[in-house]
Amino acid sequence: MTPHRHILGTFDEALASLRNNVLMMAGLTERSLERAMKGLFERNDDLCANAIADDEEIDQLEKQIDKDGVDILLRFQPVASDLRRVVSAMKLSSNLERMADQATTIARRARKLNQHPQLPEVELIRPMYEHAMSMFKDSVDAFVREDVDLARAVVPRDQTLDDLNRAASRTLIERMAQDPDQLRGYLNLIFVGRCLERVGDHATNIAEDAVYAAAAEDIRHQGVAAST
Amino acid sequence: MVNLLMATPDPTVVERVERAAEPAPTPEPAPASTFQVKNLSVWYGDKRAIDDVTLDVASNAVTAIIGPSGCGKSTFLRCLNRMHELVPKTRVEGTVFLQGEDLYSSDVDPAIVRRRVGMVFQKSNPFPTMSIGENVVIGLRLNGVRSQKFLNERLEKSLRMAALWDEVKDDLHKAGTSLSGGQQQRLCIARALAVEPEVLLMDEPCSALDPIATAKIEELIYELKAHYTIVTVTHNMQQAGRISDYTAFFYLGRLIEFGPTTKIFTNPNERQTEDYITGRFG
Repeated sequence: MTPHRHILGTFDEALASLRNNVLMMAGLTERSLERAMKGLFERNDDLCANAIADDEEIDQLEKQIDKDGVDILLRFQPVASDLRRVVSAMKLSSNLERMADQATTIARRARKLNQHPQLPEVELIRPMYEHAMSMFKDSVDAFVREDVDLARAVVPRDQTLDDLNRAASRTLIERMAQDPDQLRGYLNLIFVGRCLERVGDHATNIAEDAVYAAAAEDIRHQGVAAST
Repeated sequence: MVNLLMATPDPTVVERVERAAEPAPTPEPAPASTFQVKNLSVWYGDKRAIDDVTLDVASNAVTAIIGPSGCGKSTFLRCLNRMHELVPKTRVEGTVFLQGEDLYSSDVDPAIVRRRVGMVFQKSNPFPTMSIGENVVIGLRLNGVRSQKFLNERLEKSLRMAALWDEVKDDLHKAGTSLSGGQQQRLCIARALAVEPEVLLMDEPCSALDPIATAKIEELIYELKAHYTIVTVTHNMQQAGRISDYTAFFYLGRLIEFGPTTKIFTNPNERQTEDYITGRFG
């Protein structure tokens, strides 16, 4: 977005390194979520184990991004768009780390579900997964490309995800009443749904941070109107 | 266990909640301004140093002027007390009003202007042959003040305001040049304050000082703005961010952007301002 280079080359390098680490963390988080959900849909415990193992690397990247961000604040005292980029990158990493935690929880629930015959109700989760992942990818894309319009458009989509989650939970609770033997399985699916709903919340946070980074506008806690 | 519902609510919380429920306040009126500069242009011979600058300097606030070397910062500052007239072949167009009074009107004495608008320079310049005390009150003496009681009172008041009294009160007879660099700069501020100006202009007042002395001057500037309007030129971007309420960015003699410092340093309107403050210029 800002084509001019800083007079201090080391400042450019530090900002580029911070951005690369955020991108790498976003990539790993996306992979971890995909592995966890594939582990659930394809009943593959290895993929679940991989998703859980990814979390360690993502945690380390969060710490690295925080450290790099603080170093940049300390050494270069960034202002204006540079300051917003650094602050947003640090907030982004925190959201990504929590998303990866959701992937870990999903993977653990999936391993439990995989120990029993597959529940057809797992398909209730698929639209939520697709919606959450699309929000996630768009929010990160918006941040990377500093695309304010795309970022704003992500925010209202969280409502759809919440609706999908509510509908799925309602159906699963009905099934529990009809078939108490599968109670644990349905409960695990409800938890997976809740994790995806939280992924949507974090994607919304990232989109809001993307708007702040690119346009210096704080659109948090303003309802859907602010994002349109 | 405390029953949260029964507990007496924290009054600050109640106030915050009530305030949040109130309709949004109407925008604050524009602050009172000490200087109104309109279409100011300055030439040194054929060279145009300031190009059509219009700007209001807010009262009892710190205005920082930033910009690369040669952009006209110091020239603009000097126009506010007609100090630039000391440079030969200088020509000025436009108007500068101080509290509604045209500084460039033919019936205005530049010496009076400089008494109303004090100035502190980059390098501290105490008079080398004078004591600390004499340095402070020399302006009053030159203005004909003879009462020793009055001079003593003003001496202490000025040194206190410049946060130097406690450090020099027992050494007032010593040479001004015997002080450290930071103390000398505060002495010069005390000297400027002694004649009770309305405005204090500062031209990079900390650029020759170490970080501790700089911090003291910055703290002093913050305290002085309760009584004075302050305009300061600085090359130190962080200093502008720390001490000023308003920031003006000059480039090639033109005022590129002027606004609240928080706005300039978080989201400037102009690309040139952004490039300069983020270190992308050139």
